[in-house]
Amino acid sequence: HAPPRTERMTVDQDWSSVYPTAAAFKPASVPLPIRMGYPVKRGVPPPKEGNLELIKIPNFLHLTPPAIKKHCAALKDFCTEWPSALDSDEKCERHFPIEIETVDYVSAGTSIRNPKARVVTLRVKLSHLNLDDHAKKKLIKLVGERYCKDTDMLTITMDRCPLRRQNYDYGIHLLTVLYHESWKTEMWESEKTEEDMEEYIWENSCSQKNALDTLLRIKASENVSNVTKEELLASEVVKNYRNSVIALKNEGETEGNMSQYKESVKKLLNIQALP
Amino acid sequence: DLMGVRLAGSHVDTQEPKTNPLVSISDEPETLYKRLSLLVKGHDKAVLDSYEYFAVLAAKELGISVEKVHKPPKKIERLTLLKSVHIYKKHRVQYEMRTHYMCLELKYLTSSTAAVYLEYVQRNLPEGVAMEVKKTKIEKIPEHIQEPVWDTLPQVEETEVKS
Repeated sequence: HAPPRTERMTVDQDWSSVYPTAAAFKPASVPLPIRMGYPVKRGVPPPKEGNLELIKIPNFLHLTPPAIKKHCAALKDFCTEWPSALDSDEKCERHFPIEIETVDYVSAGTSIRNPKARVVTLRVKLSHLNLDDHAKKKLIKLVGERYCKDTDMLTITMDRCPLRRQNYDYGIHLLTVLYHESWKTEMWESEKTEEDMEEYIWENSCSQKNALDTLLRIKASENVSNVTKEELLASEVVKNYRNSVIALKNEGETEGNMSQYKESVKKLLNIQALP
Repeated sequence: DLMGVRLAGSHVDTQEPKTNPLVSISDEPETLYKRLSLLVKGHDKAVLDSYEYFAVLAAKELGISVEKVHKPPKKIERLTLLKSVHIYKKHRVQYEMRTHYMCLELKYLTSSTAAVYLEYVQRNLPEGVAMEVKKTKIEKIPEHIQEPVWDTLPQVEETEVKS
């Protein structure tokens, strides 16, 4: 029988011509002394001739580093450069605020289709959209759970259409509709009660009424001439009190907030520090 | 011997780069991909390691910045079946399927570069290995969202909506 080809191979041959594409392992074409398999008792793993384990496993003999470099050199002509002006994430976000995420699936099987491939996720930061105060609050209420307050990111996931392009178009349509609806002011929005408010507003609240009541009564008992509500509101102590109450309600109870509230109440009611 | 003789006017050609006849340039603007995340799943860790070396080298040669390469922990799915065809409930056999993962994250690709890289890498995907590619495309805000349309519509009398 003829000797294997390995005996005629030189050390500096062109390996990419021996294995140009993915092929099974041919022991007569690979000049390496490989052994693979479970060794017999007190023996070594079986040699490469007639070794099924070596044929079964996928080999990367066609993708040696010089071969990869040759392929990439040929493919480099088809690539384009990333614009050098967008070298950081913030610049990308400033100029291109909308992010669209799509997933592709590659696998071997009876069919190449994967039903999960039609899902499209749209992410946008609300600070980049042209919204005023009322429009932003209405949009957040409309959108509900899809808005994350910490990162100011609106995330919409679309998978109700059968094709990816339809889902993408539907997503853009949703964004447009949300944007325009949030700018509209309906008639029933004027019936917004205190429970619907997102943040605490001091004007026209019980806290303001109580404070003004108390101050008026103090002034009346001291028999000072009738001070008007506007003068009281404009005074320093009332403003301090207002700021501390707003801070408490909106940011929660922290050490700094509580001490600020204590100081402002003391100044409002003119109590000296307790011993 | 005229084989090696250079003609007088031929030095003009050496200054212009040779354009590849297969490359065609189209006018439409490129879509930009902020991040391309490749998740490769396989049953054999050695195959995935070799594939990772190949994918990282290909990305470096094509000039794509690799953000990070990490290997999520493997997942083992085990099932316990009856050993015999009929009766013998007490004798079972257990099988397990191990899935190893390898995640490659690339940053800042244009659509042509991404298409070239993905096609190259997917054509050389070994047998028995699956891949999921997550593309994050960045876009400008479309023109119809720049200004609310109510401002530009002509003043129309409020007609009765209820019919």
